[in-house]
Amino acid sequence: MEAIIPHLIAQNIWQLPEANRTVYATLVVLGAFVLVLGLIPVLQALPPRGRRAIVVTVTFLAGLLFAAEFFLPVDWRAIFPKDDPTRNFLTPAIQPAQNVLQTIGALALGLGTYGLVRLHLRNVVQRRTQWGYSVVLLIAFLTMATFSIANTLAERQLLKLEGTPQRVLERGFTILFDYTLVQLDAAMFSLIAFYIFSAAYRAFRIRSIEASILMFTAMVVMIGVVPLGAYISYQLLGLPQGPAPEGAGLGTQILHSIDLPDIANWILFTLNAPAQRAIEFGVGIGGLAMAIRLWLSLERGVT
Amino acid sequence: MQPQTIWQRMLSIDRRWLYAILFVNIVVFLLSPVRLRAPISPPVQKFYDEIESLRPGDLVMISSNWSASTLAENQPQLEAVLKHLMRKGVHFTFISIEAQSRDISLRLAKRLTEEAGYEYGKQWAHFGFVPNLIVAIKGMVNDLPATIKQDVTGTPIQQLPVTKGVKSLKDYKMVIDITPSGTVPIWISYSPKEVRILYCPTSVMAAEAYTYLDSGQVKGMITGAKGAQEYEQLLGITGLGAPFANAISFSHVLIIFFILLGNFALLMQRLHERREG
Amino acid sequence: MKVDALFEWMATGSRCGWAAYQHAQDNWFAAIMIGLIVTAVLVNIFRARAGKQLYIRRIPGLDAIDEAIGRSTELGRPVTMITGLTAFGVVAVQALTIFKYITKQIARFATPMRLLTGDPTVFAVAQEAISDAYNEAGRPDLYDPDNVRFLSDRQFAFASGVAGLIQRERVAANFMFGEFFAESLIFAETGNMVGAIQIAGTVSFTQVPFFVAACDYTIIGDEFYATSAYLSREPVLLGSLVGQDIAKFLFALTAVTGVIASSIVGTKHPFIKLLGQPGGWSEFVNFLLGGK
Repeated sequence: MEAIIPHLIAQNIWQLPEANRTVYATLVVLGAFVLVLGLIPVLQALPPRGRRAIVVTVTFLAGLLFAAEFFLPVDWRAIFPKDDPTRNFLTPAIQPAQNVLQTIGALALGLGTYGLVRLHLRNVVQRRTQWGYSVVLLIAFLTMATFSIANTLAERQLLKLEGTPQRVLERGFTILFDYTLVQLDAAMFSLIAFYIFSAAYRAFRIRSIEASILMFTAMVVMIGVVPLGAYISYQLLGLPQGPAPEGAGLGTQILHSIDLPDIANWILFTLNAPAQRAIEFGVGIGGLAMAIRLWLSLERGVT
Repeated sequence: MQPQTIWQRMLSIDRRWLYAILFVNIVVFLLSPVRLRAPISPPVQKFYDEIESLRPGDLVMISSNWSASTLAENQPQLEAVLKHLMRKGVHFTFISIEAQSRDISLRLAKRLTEEAGYEYGKQWAHFGFVPNLIVAIKGMVNDLPATIKQDVTGTPIQQLPVTKGVKSLKDYKMVIDITPSGTVPIWISYSPKEVRILYCPTSVMAAEAYTYLDSGQVKGMITGAKGAQEYEQLLGITGLGAPFANAISFSHVLIIFFILLGNFALLMQRLHERREG
Repeated sequence: MKVDALFEWMATGSRCGWAAYQHAQDNWFAAIMIGLIVTAVLVNIFRARAGKQLYIRRIPGLDAIDEAIGRSTELGRPVTMITGLTAFGVVAVQALTIFKYITKQIARFATPMRLLTGDPTVFAVAQEAISDAYNEAGRPDLYDPDNVRFLSDRQFAFASGVAGLIQRERVAANFMFGEFFAESLIFAETGNMVGAIQIAGTVSFTQVPFFVAACDYTIIGDEFYATSAYLSREPVLLGSLVGQDIAKFLFALTAVTGVIASSIVGTKHPFIKLLGQPGGWSEFVNFLLGGK
């Protein structure tokens, strides 16, 4: 026993051995297939209680991997001097687990895209209201997908094009990506500036003491953080810039700290940061409690 | 129906008028030759001091995760930071979390490095994009060459002079995260503690970084185009930050003016209603 | 193992060199805190299950959900539910739990609904959740898979898709729950333009000002996680909420202790490092053992 544990710790048990790696990988993939395909009829045959028991167990084991990896000590050199102090035996399993999650995400992307295309195809076939938009979406989708896939294949030398087809691909991709998608993205982001303007005009009204404080603070920060705040403070009002000299009187100290940039920074660091920290504590604890409920299958929401 | 008073009409002004006014304001001040000098905010000064403390040949990781949508804020930041790094003779490598960010940062870096006579492979490199930042950072901490494998040109990174002998992210002095999304907490959580983290967010995302600045987990920050303008001032150069910051500055004034106008209209309407009984 | 070796091991922080808390061994104090929070949550869940009556304060934004649904029903216009770009995880599950509740309510009146997401994994789970909601409400016939839509995982393509749908269908109520980024104001302001009643709940601190400015009600921070407990009054969720409050008290206590202690002994003292720095546990144990 004493010999096995250090061996397991020293060897990365989550990686396939170098020799005959392809054979092992094929076996693992086939094993996973058999397991998943075998599990479907078993799950369907089971009564709901039994099905739930399996789901609860799998959820618990999957969560346990991450929890155990975090809590298990990583430095065992006091007991096994040859141990690697940077990881415990579960640490190397985290990356494969993340890869599985990414693979599930990629499969879901296919599912989402299928749903989107199906919906718009139906819109067109059944001539639902505003089906023209669906036609635009389908054409845009097909064109972009074709050029993107072709471009990626060409980049990886899997598709060899020459002459006119190559020029069409390069030009087409530039038009679609650089001159269309990129510009549309930028346009959407810049819309936010206009929306901020209309939302601020509508929302910042002095209806209560709290609203007044909020409005006043927002105005001070907005002016204080831009060059105009400095211009007003130092050029127009003639306030002294920088920290007060040591041993200065109270009046000088006050004058050195009431310029708009200083007040804005004080609001950001002294009022904004602690408020945010408090909210983040609450959010973090809420997230942890939710994770515990999901892990132990105590949550009955969507699970 | 009673006719609307002028105050009521002001309160329910068609938002398209507001948009038109803002648009004109932005265009005028973007093109205007008037340039206001920005006060240097403490996070920008700290950012500058951190880079000043680097020595020629030190290695810095630039995580460039912005795309065209936030170009107005992130491009001036990246340009100013790269110019400073090259002025100090610091070596750097790029990494992105999506294809568009990779393309944009690569193109921009190529242009700026050519201007400064920096040689690809010797003084800088681009590692391309990684789909999962957490996995990538963890991998880079353990074994950087095995995680990244090759750069955008397909060269194994051990063969690049700039990253020769680099085994882990621990061999880097600094990570500079230029991003419109919340990637900085990931860098803070997973990168080695001896690597300093600097942050270039968009103005919208800057508010959440003050807790990290306060705790010292982020050493310095350039906030949007306005921060880039401050940085350009510190470097003594004229870049994209100044005109953008100019437009932002006067847009803030316009918004404040309209907020005050709205409140004035509200007050007058209330007085009017009181008079009317 | 000898006692000395045990102490030596306890005093050893992780030497992996990673930042902050990669493993519990980086600072066992943080692990103990996590353990205490989990215990507080679980104990209160079991207390609530055993029949203990627990109080939850009023959250006006959540009371307005029924009003918003009622208005949609009257106008015959759809309700939109937006998870944003929330990736699949606890935030997404919470958002879907809330949307499931809303769907159950609207199923009673056969009000049309659209659930829009920018994450494909959330989309797959959302389809199941919404289908379940209609089943549980006794109206499986009303479920149309096309009403749960994945639009795009590109931020602004998704934003334009949502804005277009809100405009075209003139939605009467717009619920936004989840994690949001710069696109939040595009959703909220578009909803405002069409006169929809809007309720937003988010854990994204930076987006709160935009929602406050453009929505009728905004649910902030951990109120987001309290939503399902408030709506369902399920003992498990109420108990968990009480546990969370105890955990928050623990955090506040740690912060206050840290402030007082650092004022007395200075910030370099091992006790202060124990409270909040990687490697703090090792220094503190060494300090206790050797008086260093």
